Amino acid sequence: MSGHRVRAITRRLLQGFRRDRRTLALLFVAPLIILGLLGYLMRGSSTAPSVGIANEDSGPLGAVVAESLRHSSLISATDISAADGDAKLKDGSLAAYIVFPSDFSQQAQAGNVSPEVHLEGSQPGRSTPVVQALQLALSSVAAQAAGRSIQFAPRITYLYGGKNFDTLDYFGAAFIGLVVFFLVFVITIVAFLNERSQGTLERLMASPLRRGEIVLGYMLGFTVLALVQSAEVLAFALAILKVHNQGSVLVIFAMEALMALVAVNLGIFLSMFARSEFQAVQFIPLVVVPQVLLSGIIFPVSSEPKALQILSDVLPLTYAVNGMRDIMVKGADLTWSSLDLDVAVVAAFGIALIVAGTTTLRRTLA
Amino acid sequence: MSEAYAVEVDNVSKSFGGYKALNGVTLRVRRGEIYGLLGPNGAGKTTLIRHLVGLLKADGGTVTVLGQSMPNVAVLGKVGYMTQQAALYPALSVEENVQFFAAINGADEGVKDALERVRLYDRRKSVVATLSGGMRQRCSLACALVHHPQLLLLDEPTVGIDPQLRVQFWEDFRHMAEGGTTIIVSSHVMDEADRCQRLGLIQYGRLLEEGSPAEIRAKGGSQNLEEAFLSLAGRGES
Repeated sequence: MSGHRVRAITRRLLQGFRRDRRTLALLFVAPLIILGLLGYLMRGSSTAPSVGIANEDSGPLGAVVAESLRHSSLISATDISAADGDAKLKDGSLAAYIVFPSDFSQQAQAGNVSPEVHLEGSQPGRSTPVVQALQLALSSVAAQAAGRSIQFAPRITYLYGGKNFDTLDYFGAAFIGLVVFFLVFVITIVAFLNERSQGTLERLMASPLRRGEIVLGYMLGFTVLALVQSAEVLAFALAILKVHNQGSVLVIFAMEALMALVAVNLGIFLSMFARSEFQAVQFIPLVVVPQVLLSGIIFPVSSEPKALQILSDVLPLTYAVNGMRDIMVKGADLTWSSLDLDVAVVAAFGIALIVAGTTTLRRTLA
Repeated sequence: MSEAYAVEVDNVSKSFGGYKALNGVTLRVRRGEIYGLLGPNGAGKTTLIRHLVGLLKADGGTVTVLGQSMPNVAVLGKVGYMTQQAALYPALSVEENVQFFAAINGADEGVKDALERVRLYDRRKSVVATLSGGMRQRCSLACALVHHPQLLLLDEPTVGIDPQLRVQFWEDFRHMAEGGTTIIVSSHVMDEADRCQRLGLIQYGRLLEEGSPAEIRAKGGSQNLEEAFLSLAGRGES
């Protein structure tokens, strides 16, 4: 063991970093950005789900419970009419709505209340507080009503999912897409960079190949790989993990193919800005982590602070994730305008990246 | 435009940042000629060759290749380019590499012939990553000539290969030149220079001298080409 030789290695390492500004930035700036983003997301997010309350009770009890729900910190309650409820669940403005039936007060007299709870159901984490809040409101009212014991038997219906719909079902739909997106992106950026560093790109540029042909050829090659991977991931998720799926496997597959297309072209495009594989790998925390945090995979976009929502709205993964969830959880197909929008935005990103990749792939070296 | 010339370089200048890599270079290479670009490392040889394949665009002056003003994609199908490092796909076999470059140049039928010319046909199934440096150079040459280019640009093709193979390479070059191929080869190895029909000496981005090996010897005042070269280079420095 020679301290001198060990020091030589340490010094050489630090000397190299001194000239690599990008790596320094990654080491010292990226953690602040990522942690800051996470903090802002967690602290700033409004977590209470919006719940509509339709009070049809002919007696007084419904109004009392509704009033109590309005003060609940678990949910944010608004009055609606029962007829609008389903539409509001579908357009996403409500996570649930509660109906107190016209004989609600009489039920309470009989000692057994069953209000209707209609859950949107696609996000398990947002269903639980609704039932909880209702239970709390009822028990406080019951306590006021001189300690009479009242059985609470809500009639729960789900628009999407169901009783057995769990967290994996919610995240699974998004992660199937994410896994493919992430891996295809990494493989493309490294492969394209290899082309540059082993000198073959110079050879390609000195051949009759046109830039568009190079980008298109790459895209097709990696898309073939990505499709096989997508099929495998999807089969595993559906057959082994039994992730909840309401939609057509073909539509899911098409959405994954579209995401792969975006990932390939993002990889080609960003490889132009990396000088080494080392620098290429640095794009992962910069490109992938913020997208994972902001695309609604973990934190629903609608509950993000407003400023971050704007950011989320310009990320391709936001639309891809939303699309995947709509298909798998809600059974969306191409007749749904919301899915059409997601597909169109992801496709538009893909096309924009093809153009960007082709343009930045300069024929001349300088 | 003159049909007699494969390459016409007129007063070409190129700077990178503040550094003048090429400074008013003018030269002509006739069809079927073997032209040697000689000069020390960093003299501008590779920069000049990159202009000939349109990888670089001149700041000033004009580059004409096979009658077409460069950069021009269409003419590149008639040009073969062997880069300094053996630029190959290491995960592919020798044959797969040559097939690829044949395909992008639209010459799929030339693969076997090219492999035989560089004497790699028996090793065609070997994966490039497992080959020796000399074999990689041969494979790289096969990729450059598989489409029977009219102009072959070889950037230090014999770096790192043994003397025996070097002799073979030069025999091949001569055969191709006799068949009408124009060859421009850069080198800093003087015994190679002797095999060229004409030489251009490049230093500090300038063309110092041009002429046959005999003429260069006369100008440099030495029977030894290396001494003649050093003497001429010394004059350029002062």
